[in-house]
Amino acid sequence: MNFPAELQYSRSHEWIRMEDGVAVIGISDFAQSELGDVVFVNLPEVGDDTTAGEAFGDVESVKAVSDLVCPVTGTVCEVNEELLDSPEKLNEDCYGAWIIKVENITETEDLLNAAEYEAFTQEEG
Amino acid sequence: MDQLKRTQLYETHLAAGATMVDFGGWEMPVQYPTGIVAEHLYTRHFCSLFDVSHMGRLLIEGKDRVAFLQHVLSSNVEGLDLYKAQYCILPDADGSAVDDAYLYRFEEDRLLLVVNAANTEKDLTHLNALLPGYDCSITDITADWASIAVQGPKSKELLTVLTGGEAPTEPMKNALNTTTLEGRPARIAKTGYTGEPLGYEVYIPSEHAAWLWNRLVELGARPAGLGARDTLRLEAGMPLYGHEMGKDPDGTPMPIFAVPLAKFAVSFSERKGDYVGRAALEKQSAAFKRIMNRDFSDRAALPRTIRPITLLDRGVMRAGMPVYRGEEQIGWVTSGTMVPYYKAEGEGLETVITDKVEKRAIGLCYIDSDVLEDDVVTVDIRGKRLKAVIPARHLDSMAPPYARPILYGYELTAPEEDSEPRPARALALLKRAEENHLWRQKRCINLIPSENTPSRAVQMLSASDPSCRYAEHKKVKSFYDREIFYYQGTGFIEEVERLAVQELREYFGCTEVETRVTSGQMANMCAFSALMDWKNRLDRKHTPQRLGYVMNNHIIKGGHLSAQPMGALHDYIAVDPVTERSAVVNFPVCRDNIFKIDVEETKKLIEQYRPELIIFGKSMVIHKEPVAQIRQFVDEQKIPTTIMYDMAHVLGIAGPYFQDPFAEGAEIVTGSTHKSFFGPQRGVVAVNYKEDELKYGLWETIETRAFPGSVSNHHLGTMLGLLMSAYEMNQFRHEYQSAIIRNAKSFARSLKKAGLAVCGDPAIDYTETHQVLVRVGYGEGAEIASRLEKNNIIVNYQATPDEEGFTASGALRMGVSEMTRFGFGEAEFEKLAQLIAACVLRNENVAEDVARLRADYTTMHYCFDGPEFDAALEGFMGKIGF
Repeated sequence: MNFPAELQYSRSHEWIRMEDGVAVIGISDFAQSELGDVVFVNLPEVGDDTTAGEAFGDVESVKAVSDLVCPVTGTVCEVNEELLDSPEKLNEDCYGAWIIKVENITETEDLLNAAEYEAFTQEEG
Repeated sequence: MDQLKRTQLYETHLAAGATMVDFGGWEMPVQYPTGIVAEHLYTRHFCSLFDVSHMGRLLIEGKDRVAFLQHVLSSNVEGLDLYKAQYCILPDADGSAVDDAYLYRFEEDRLLLVVNAANTEKDLTHLNALLPGYDCSITDITADWASIAVQGPKSKELLTVLTGGEAPTEPMKNALNTTTLEGRPARIAKTGYTGEPLGYEVYIPSEHAAWLWNRLVELGARPAGLGARDTLRLEAGMPLYGHEMGKDPDGTPMPIFAVPLAKFAVSFSERKGDYVGRAALEKQSAAFKRIMNRDFSDRAALPRTIRPITLLDRGVMRAGMPVYRGEEQIGWVTSGTMVPYYKAEGEGLETVITDKVEKRAIGLCYIDSDVLEDDVVTVDIRGKRLKAVIPARHLDSMAPPYARPILYGYELTAPEEDSEPRPARALALLKRAEENHLWRQKRCINLIPSENTPSRAVQMLSASDPSCRYAEHKKVKSFYDREIFYYQGTGFIEEVERLAVQELREYFGCTEVETRVTSGQMANMCAFSALMDWKNRLDRKHTPQRLGYVMNNHIIKGGHLSAQPMGALHDYIAVDPVTERSAVVNFPVCRDNIFKIDVEETKKLIEQYRPELIIFGKSMVIHKEPVAQIRQFVDEQKIPTTIMYDMAHVLGIAGPYFQDPFAEGAEIVTGSTHKSFFGPQRGVVAVNYKEDELKYGLWETIETRAFPGSVSNHHLGTMLGLLMSAYEMNQFRHEYQSAIIRNAKSFARSLKKAGLAVCGDPAIDYTETHQVLVRVGYGEGAEIASRLEKNNIIVNYQATPDEEGFTASGALRMGVSEMTRFGFGEAEFEKLAQLIAACVLRNENVAEDVARLRADYTTMHYCFDGPEFDAALEGFMGKIGF
């Protein structure tokens, strides 16, 4: 399993990358593997507020639905609309296929680095 | 918690990298590394393997096995033939399902009941409680045999490799077979839980399970887990116990008739007695019938039913989500997910399944039974109300070898409306008719065996004046059975009809001929109607009884459509009270020659069923029918029956070069006059009863079922054509018929020499008729026939007796009659065989070569010619203005 060192991770299996004060958020390799084939992604709209630790959307695999949890409090400034038509990108390239970008960040939950996260997934698995 | 159970294939799944889960107490693969979507798609376009060894396998044996199962199952167990399976439900007394199951009859005296894994213990308790008083036993043999479902369009091909060339089973759904797979014993059922038209479930002794699995993987099949099994069955609309059966989310038992399959799985045969749940099921059935007729006044016994549901908004439905009509909740989604499919392009037989994957959010739901197809509802998906619709179905399996997704709202391309002014349309019609005529008559080589071109004389006569007249007539007892005509101006046609009967009597060597029926199908309906009327002639105070049993050739084995319950027999065949199916018994075919009736096996069936009507004749016909042998047998055994031969295809070769039906003992011959015979498109019924025989009354009934039974206007123009064609046939019969048989055999040899896979027995040069059959590859028939058409060769695509139906056709059916009439001999058919081989095998363009070959053979033979006839015909045409 692949956990790029330049990213940070939440305990709900999202990854986050900061770009000039904007948080780019996706799901981890562990998450996509556990979900199996992703067939649908429910996205928020640009301008929606997010709260750290709360759901901003959900992701549906063939078997089940899982919440997408936002690691930061802020405002959605961009959503990856490509995922509406090609949700399988989350399986094929989970670190390339970001889900949302959040700006005006006021709060960030306690995140893990790659090594910590890998250890965390081993406990979970 | 107890240790999870493992199937014989547990290690195999681990080795393949499967994700294992607890499923009803079994540790089972939910998916393999490729994932559910890929497994689903691979099943639909190639072939997947499913380990179904966890399902409960219960062997029921002993004297009262049938009586016991009739009591505890919903289905008609007495109607289950040897080597057949049936879907059934285990009802409880309230009419809800304890479980659903499949019942298999692999052996004469034992029945195998396969139940859901999670329910096996519950089912055994339920069944054992009902067992006292019945002299039979239930043995759980789940561990003795493994079971592998082999599902998908390539399943048949892969299993055929392992059988060594023999078809895994007969092509019909629910057929069973006992065979060996590379030396290992196996039982194969044409059943499945994927909606695939080609799918098998293979039972194999446990020690061979891993071998079979790995061998099939070697051949190209891939493993699929419970995840794909669920999405496939959901797409196919098949119920899953615990979702579509059992209890609803409120805990209320769901009635069995809520499941659409119930109407096939539930029998109310009197022979089932007062079985478990019968009274409740009868109430449900009555409610079901009202609901089907859109009478929603009393839905108490069936308040909700299971329906397919398609999400119109973006999202995914899941089991348990509430469904609303307006603000009222009308039920729940019972199964739902996003299901992938391969996008199709083109329409009809030209449909091409592309490799582009799309997905749709579909499900099954349990909703109020007054919801109609196409009604729009809403589904509460985590607090959001999304729009959904109730479609007819999600998938259709009736066009093998593929299961085809039915996309909600798909509309066929609308044909272009003609907007020209009417005179222009009329001129265009003339122009296009001319082009079509010249193409079919001058450039095309027509090998459709049910077609022929009539001579010019026949064509001219068919278009002359009586074609617009009436001449109803019938025999009247008061005038000593003189034919009395109801119209004036009919003197000429009366004479023509009398002469036609005279010629046809001579042709058949029989006593009576009815010529008024205007098609072969009508000829059969007239004969069946007469047989039924004759059967009931001594009791006119009751609703007439239908015919039963009737023996015929199964349509898959080449039988005529016009002798099937779905064809001309439809309104005349009884329902067998034992099996609750049409009282038809099919001729068995030889195991080593599926194109030929197995006479010895037929005799056994005749003794068993004592059919009141035996119908010989086929539309895919390369052999003589065993009329004489069966006549001798029924006479010796004193079995009262009527032997009829539907000679539609072979009417024009009746006689010494093929077979002589009346000399061999047929009583009734029907046929169409335009296939191998020389006539215009009409029908004929001939009998060989003499006036002093009892059954002469049946002949008189045939006459009254022709008129007024079948026709008022019997198409007088083509009656003239028929008379001329009968003159031609009686005059040129020997030259023509001997040429037909010689050409067909020679054509078959030439096709074989050119590299094509000709069906039939090489020892008799493949055929004894005007037909030649060539295999071109499973499912390829339609595409090859279309390619030949583009090359000016017109043939039929044909499903052989081991194929499922016309969309799976793997053969071509060709006939030599028309080109023989245009002067083709063995040398010309040899040239044609080479052109066909070039087109079929090498995809060469031979259109111009075919047109050139055809151009030299446009003169009709086996008809009257010479200066005198030419002059008469020209004069006739000139005077009447043609």
